[in-house]
Amino acid sequence: MSAPEPTHPLAAVATPGRHGAAGDAPLRVTLPRRDLVQVMARRGREEALARAMQDTFGMAPPAAGRSATGRDASAVWIQPGAWMLTAPRGAEGALAARAAAAFAGLAAVEDQSHGRTTIIVSGPAARAVLARGCRIDLHPRAFGPGRAAGTQIAHVSCLVHQVDDAPSFELTVFSTLAEPFFHWLLEAGASHGVVIA
Amino acid sequence: MLRIPCPHCGPRDEAEFSYRGDATVTRPGPEDGIEAFHGYLYERRNPRGWQVEWWQHGAGCRAFLKVLRHTVTHEIRAVATATEALEVPEA
Ligand SMILES: [Zn+2]
Repeated sequence: MSAPEPTHPLAAVATPGRHGAAGDAPLRVTLPRRDLVQVMARRGREEALARAMQDTFGMAPPAAGRSATGRDASAVWIQPGAWMLTAPRGAEGALAARAAAAFAGLAAVEDQSHGRTTIIVSGPAARAVLARGCRIDLHPRAFGPGRAAGTQIAHVSCLVHQVDDAPSFELTVFSTLAEPFFHWLLEAGASHGVVIA
Repeated sequence: MLRIPCPHCGPRDEAEFSYRGDATVTRPGPEDGIEAFHGYLYERRNPRGWQVEWWQHGAGCRAFLKVLRHTVTHEIRAVATATEALEVPEA
């Protein structure tokens, strides 16, 4: 008998439907189920880790401030020598086990799937809404698809990852802070309107 | 408010960093005596001018950085990683 799927950290607050003002360009919010695995290279093993990531996931570890997309997973740079692997939610612990086997002796591998929650915000309103709590410049001149940044939004540590030109941003926060963060997001988006899928 | 150019993350708001003091202080050897340790723990130059200091980018890449900052004007002239050398300019 397998364990039941855990309740989503935002199940109590993310009521599907329209919130805030009416308008034709609302902020679109989706809550993807993700596996998240932190990979931290052992000192001096970065090149061997890069080869292993290429072999197993079909991508090179992205440079600072960037992300990479592989065969069935993505990687986001989070700090020197460390990346967050993400993939659609699969069997419990499977992505971490795959990474641990591929990177044995090359990196520390830690499953963060329960500890972090990813929120996708999308649409023309996304930059204006995020600017109400985010200090980094998300203007196309300074940021864009494939760019990522660890920062704070509304005082909550947040990994920001732009995935397309819609624009869509994946926001990954600690699950324990996902609920207050989500309340902020609804407030910040209220003047544009927020549609939760 | 300072804007600190992190070598890993690019320019970021001071609020993402923690100030960690004079980066030129070095820990004495274990046999150097109580006076040397007293100086290491408590005595600082507190200069009016350029200082190399530690800032940790805790809300970003988490790295400890060396920052060359003017303590009067707050001008930041250079930022380096923890293992790089960063010298205080003459006068
Ligand atoms: Zn940084």
